[in-house]
Order: sequence, then structure tokens, then C-alpha cells
Amino acid sequence: MNQALSAGREGRSDNSGRILRWVKKPIGLILILIVLSFLVFALLYLAPGDPAEKRLTSQGVAVTKEVLDAERERLGLFRPFLVRYGEWLLGVFRGDLGVSFKDDLPVTPKLMTGLLKTVILASASLLLSLTVSFPLAVLAAWKKDRIPDHAVRLLSFFGNSLPNFLISVLLMYLLCIRIRVFPVIATGSLQGLFMPVVSLAIPMTGRFIRQMRAEFLAQLSEDYVGGMRMRGVKERFLILNVIRNSLGHILTIIALQIGTLMGGSVVIENIFRWPGIGKLVMDSVTARDYPVIMGFVLIMGTIYVVVNQLADAGFHALDPRGQA
Amino acid sequence: MKKRVLAACLAVVMGMSLSACGGSAGTAPVQTDAPAAEQQADTAAETKEEPSETKEEPAETKTDEQDAQTESSGEKILHAAASFAYPSLDVHKEYYGWYTSIYGISEALFKMDENMNAAPCLAKSAEADGKTWTITLNDGIAFSGGNPLTAEMVVKNLKRLAEVNERFAYLGEFDMSASDEKTLIITTPEIYPTLRNDLASPECGIVDLDATTDFDQAPVCTGPFVISKFQPEGDVEVVKNPAYWGGDVKLDGAVFYYMQEDDPKLLAMQSGEIDCYNSVSSAALEVYKADPDQYNVVSIPGARLQFYILNEKTLDDAVREAVNLTVDKDKIASYLSGTVSAAVGPFNTGAAYGKVTVPAVDTEKAKTVLEADGYTLGSDGIYEKDGKKLSVNIAYYAARSLDTLALLIQEQLKAVGIDSTLTVEEDPDSTYIATGDFDLALYCMIADKAGDPLYFIDSTLKEGAYYDCGGFSDDHCEELIEQLRYETDSAKRAALANEIVQIAIDDNAFGYVGLFNSTTVLRKGVSGFAENIPFDFYGIDATTDIQ
Repeated sequence: MNQALSAGREGRSDNSGRILRWVKKPIGLILILIVLSFLVFALLYLAPGDPAEKRLTSQGVAVTKEVLDAERERLGLFRPFLVRYGEWLLGVFRGDLGVSFKDDLPVTPKLMTGLLKTVILASASLLLSLTVSFPLAVLAAWKKDRIPDHAVRLLSFFGNSLPNFLISVLLMYLLCIRIRVFPVIATGSLQGLFMPVVSLAIPMTGRFIRQMRAEFLAQLSEDYVGGMRMRGVKERFLILNVIRNSLGHILTIIALQIGTLMGGSVVIENIFRWPGIGKLVMDSVTARDYPVIMGFVLIMGTIYVVVNQLADAGFHALDPRGQA
Repeated sequence: MKKRVLAACLAVVMGMSLSACGGSAGTAPVQTDAPAAEQQADTAAETKEEPSETKEEPAETKTDEQDAQTESSGEKILHAAASFAYPSLDVHKEYYGWYTSIYGISEALFKMDENMNAAPCLAKSAEADGKTWTITLNDGIAFSGGNPLTAEMVVKNLKRLAEVNERFAYLGEFDMSASDEKTLIITTPEIYPTLRNDLASPECGIVDLDATTDFDQAPVCTGPFVISKFQPEGDVEVVKNPAYWGGDVKLDGAVFYYMQEDDPKLLAMQSGEIDCYNSVSSAALEVYKADPDQYNVVSIPGARLQFYILNEKTLDDAVREAVNLTVDKDKIASYLSGTVSAAVGPFNTGAAYGKVTVPAVDTEKAKTVLEADGYTLGSDGIYEKDGKKLSVNIAYYAARSLDTLALLIQEQLKAVGIDSTLTVEEDPDSTYIATGDFDLALYCMIADKAGDPLYFIDSTLKEGAYYDCGGFSDDHCEELIEQLRYETDSAKRAALANEIVQIAIDDNAFGYVGLFNSTTVLRKGVSGFAENIPFDFYGIDATTDIQ
């Protein structure tokens, strides 16, 4: 009876601990975002140049100091740093990311449009990359130091070494000029998605193959694999076990890549005229468009933290041993 | 179950791809009511002759897809690449007017011509009498919606421009009124000789303020084209304005693809997807020049100047003179492979105010000048004085080929015994230009924005000007600048400008290195893409054609 009560108490305690952990996570996320936004706001404040100057001289036309100061006044750049940060933060709590200093348009729709485009590009390239890299990594690990392994490693080496801007131009030249199966200007169609996805996927596939192969090899050297072999377990079951046990680490590798992908690829977006968030933010940094940069920081900070938390949860779900 | 999850994931990704390809709310192309506008214009121009365009054969190099498109519609559509794209078509705001002008949508009262003159456009004349300007509009001008252009509407436009564009806020100080339907009177607080040139700025494009309901996406203007599809910060499509006041418009329409990168533009030109573009890179230039049967390349000195400022507070006269005698602009222009023409002064030598002289490059004389000033050549080949090596701090930013320029100047200076260090900044205006922390500062800006020298002289040579950060100061020069400010006679203005710039050159305060060429590539048979006008803000007009 006492044991049952004690077990019941422990159960309730576990539940409340779990709830506490889930409550702590969003609070932690908010604190991270506040610290992050403050640091970025401070860095932008310290960086030379201001949005008024960038906006007025964007075409190389010089303006007088009076004109410049009037624009600075209009944008509120003469107000103290803390006042500006405080106003921005209050706006965020009200759900308003402000108005772009570059073109006076609301920040939220701009970021959301870019983010959606980037999510599409990132998801498609990640999917393609995983589809190719996963089986190749398994094959390379399984046939270690044999011809398939060498061939896959060579491919991975090439994929990893080629910068994606070079891949983009080579693809364009091959598919649009030589073979003529795609137009150079193809935004707004599935055709338009193909080349940027492949350009992003090739180097990513190279990296994934190496990382996954290393993980599979690590698993293959574990004692349980030797034990299974000695017990005469069929190879396909052995492979499935190895894959199952590698998934936790592979999930972490993918999660890290998602963060990078969501930052957008400025080069790919520029070359293929893909209006994603990377290009938007790069232009905003050049224009010192503080509200857009700050909005991007919030979104990316949230994505990074959430993806990592999900990867963490996924890792524990796949391998409960680490969940002490 | 797992298969279902995988299938669901795939469906989500595909669904998102398709929805994005269809365009999102934020950037959805805006189909303006072009047919309605055309209908209005048709009504307004009933007496106008119907365009009698014959069906044109597409260029040989067009893709099959494009051939089919052109042939099926039987229209002459120009496809061009644009390096910039903006979120709005509001002619008066920011620099958006540059692009409505390039797209052939908006027109100003005057238009800069090939000789850098403000030629008549919507206005036929502008006469100054002291502080009062009388501007007379051309006859028969109507907006694409059919309303006639009146002097009252011009006044309203200029007032709006002063309100919404900080760079033109000064127009608010002018007293502007319409004396009749076709005449407006502008009275300035002081004599203002450059008003005619100012009114040629594309930001001064005239919009039908009464008929326009959406300034950002469908302004009603007087140009030969009207907007038919506008994607903010993306592609733009225009169709001809059949009621254009200036006569027949040769093209039926045009598409401007927003393409920032050079390589895709080259590839799109090669695949036949675009017909022309400007600001051609040096690498692409080589490709086009190698195939003159396919491409026509037009390169003229533009209005964008590469120059350096020599700091008079840190460099003595002899060093500044030696630097100017050493920097070889022709070699630099040659190295930059046709993208830049060697400059003499800040302005095009073809302009009346571009007649200045600079000493020829003479490295031996440069050495003599240094030695006469007490410098001796050290064992390492670098001059020194009082035990201190002669070293120049070259400040630059990595844009407009200034990074290459910095390296070339460093190399040329080293050859005569002047050592240098390079300091790169991301933002020159708030770093070395603001602080004056340099010996030689590289910069690039538009030197001639509307066919008059005052703007550049005022920005760089007037004492206290933002770009007079090297300490150049000359009393006589100041007097001449004040004279230039109020001189109304063009010839006298040119003479004054030449004298002012010559003083700065003789003082070795600056080095004017190169004028960026305005380089346009056109497929054979394409003409009239403002290829002979040295300003960045013109593109298609009524004469643009595809043979």
C-alpha cells in the first residue's frame, strides 16, 4: 500500500516535472530572443552608416547634410538607443514588427513572403538531398573500402567541394544553353524550382553522405553488430538495426542543416531570382533596414531554438536511454 | 502507417511548392486594369491613326517557346533585364521614378538628351526672368487615361513631390502657380538657373493625380507605355499606350525581368530570352564583342565617376603632385576592360563644362618632385624623409570596381617609390568620408545628374561640403562657386565650372580616374533602349523597336 502511494506520488511528481519543463521552454525562448534582439540592435547601432543615408544615396546621388538630417529625423534616428529599442520591443509584444526603413512597407508581410519562399526551397532541397544521400551513405558504409564506397566518397568529395554558385551557373549553362530543357528565366513555375533546388542539394548531399557514412560506420563497429552477426542474423535485419540506432544522430545533423537552410542562400536566390528571406535580409543589411533585420533575427532565433528542441525531443524518442 | 506519413510529408512539400509558384499575397503580381486604361485612351484618341504594325519575325536566336509566344500573339514585345526592382511605382517617391521612366511609363517636363541637354518633353520651353520661370507645356498632351495635361496638374505634381521626397523638399519653397492651361509660373526665393535641369529628373515625372487610385501599382502617366503587370521588387510588364501624345509607339509592350546577377543575364541573352540590358559586366562584354553578328554593344562614357580625394591635411603638396603624376588612368581603364573610360575631369569631355586639362602621367617627374621636396630613395625602393618611409593610406570600399582601383593605384605608386596601405570600409560615408581618416580616399558617385556641373561642384569642392573631406579650400574657387550658383547663361556657367574644377586639379586635391561607361547590349535588330544617353534613368520609349 505504502509502495503504491509512493509510486503514485513519484508519478505525479514526474508529471509536474514534465509540465514544468514544458512551461520553462517558451519562457527560455522568450528570454533568448530578448537577449539576442538586444545584442543585434546594439550591433546595428554601433555599425557605421544609417538607413537615411543608404536610402537617399542608393543610386549614387550625393545629398546635402540638411536633407540627410531631415530624413534621419523622420526615421527617428536621433532618439536615444534605449528609447528606440524599447519602442521596437513594445511593438513586438503588440505583434507589430514595424515598418521598413528602406521603403516604408510593413515588415511582417515582407518577412513572411520571403520566409515562405525559403521554406519551399529549403524543404525541397532537403528532401532531395536526403533521398539521395541516405541510401548512398548506407551503401558506402556497408561496402566500406570497396568500389561502391570509393565511388560514393568520390561523388561526395566533388559535391562537397563545389560552391553552389558555380553549380548554379554550370547547371544553367548545361540545361538552358546546351540541352535547352529549361529556360534561364523560369520563376513562378515548378521548372523555376528545379535548378535552385538541385544547386542547393548537391553540396548538401556531399556533406550528408560523409556525415551519415561516419555515423553508420560508428554503429557498425559496435559490439551488438558483431553479436548479431555471430548469431547469424540476416544482413537486412542488421542494416535496419544499424539505421534505427543511427537515426538519433542523423536527426541532429539534419536539424543543424535546417537552421542553415532557413537562413536562406543569398547567392542561389540572386542567381535564380528566388525572392527568399536570404536575399531580403542581405539587402536589408546593406540598406541598414533595422526593422527588417530585427524581425529576421526574431524569426530565425525562434526557428533555430524550436528546431533544436524538436531534434532533441526526436533524439530522445528514438533513443530513450539518454532521457535520464 | 509510415508510408502514409511520408506521403503526407511529400504532399505538403509539393503543395507548398505549387502554392508558392502561384505567387503569394505579398508579392503577387498586380494585374492592373490595363484594358480599361487602354479603352479610355482609345476613346480619348479616337482621331488618332490606328497603329499599323506588321507582324515582325522574331529574332533568330529566340527560343522555340518565345517564338511561339511572339508568333501566336503577333506582337512586338521587348524582353529586357533590369538590375534593380522596387516595391512601388510611385513616380515621386524615393528613386522609383527612375524605373517608371525606364519602363516608359512616366515622363518629366524635360528629358536629358545624348548631349547632356535638358531637351523639351512635356514642356516645350522654360524661360527665366530673374527669379521667375515661365514654363510652357507642349500641345496635345494627354495622360494614358485620356485626361489632358494641364499646368495646374503639373503644379500639383511638383507640390506632391516636395512633400513625399526629401531630396526635392526644396521645391516646397518655390511659389508655383498655373497662369493658364498650358503655362506655369515658378518663382524661386533666389535666382535658380538649374530649374530646367532639375525638372528633367525622372522623379519630376507627371502623374494624373485625379485619375490615379493606386500610386504604388498603377500610376496614370503620360508615357508611351502603361503598366499591365507589376510584381513588387520583381518583374514588370508594360503595354503600349495607344493614345500616346507623342505619336506611334513601335513596340506593343515590354517585359522587364529583375535580374541582379551578371551570369544569368548573359545566359538569358544567349538563350534568346532577353533582347537587351545595360550595365554589362566586363566578362560578358568580351562574349558579346566576340559575336558581332548576334549582338550590338553600345558603350559611351556615363555620368558615374570614380575619383579619389587627396587629403591636404596629411599629404604635402609634393606627395599629392607625385601621386597625380603617377596614377595612370588609361592603364586602369584598360585593365577594367571597357567598363570605364579614363576621365580628365569629373565630367564628360563632350560637355561644355568638361573642358579641363590634367598633366600627363610622368613617373620620372613624380620622382623629381619628391626628391626636390627632400625625399630620398631608400634601399627598399621606397622614398623616405627624416627617417620616415613615405606611405599613403588608401581608403576604399568594395563596390563599383574601387577594390580593383585601390590595388592598381597601390601597384603604380609602389613603382615610383611610394608605399601604401589599403583600408577597406563597408560604408565610406560614415567612416573615412565623415572622419577624414585617410590619405587617399576612393569614391564613386554620379557626377552629372542632370546636365549641369553645380551639383557635383557643390558636393565636393565647396568648402565644408560633405565630400570636401580632404581639406581643399580656395577663396577664389569659393567666389566662382557662388557666381556659378546664380549664373543663368549656359556658356558662362560652363566657363565658370571649368575654371573651378581646374583650380582643384592644379591644387592636386583630387584625382578623377574614370567615368563608368554606360554599356548596353542589344540583340541585332533591337534599337532605342536609351543606349546613347549617358544617364541611368532612361530605357524604352516610343522609338524603341525590334526589327
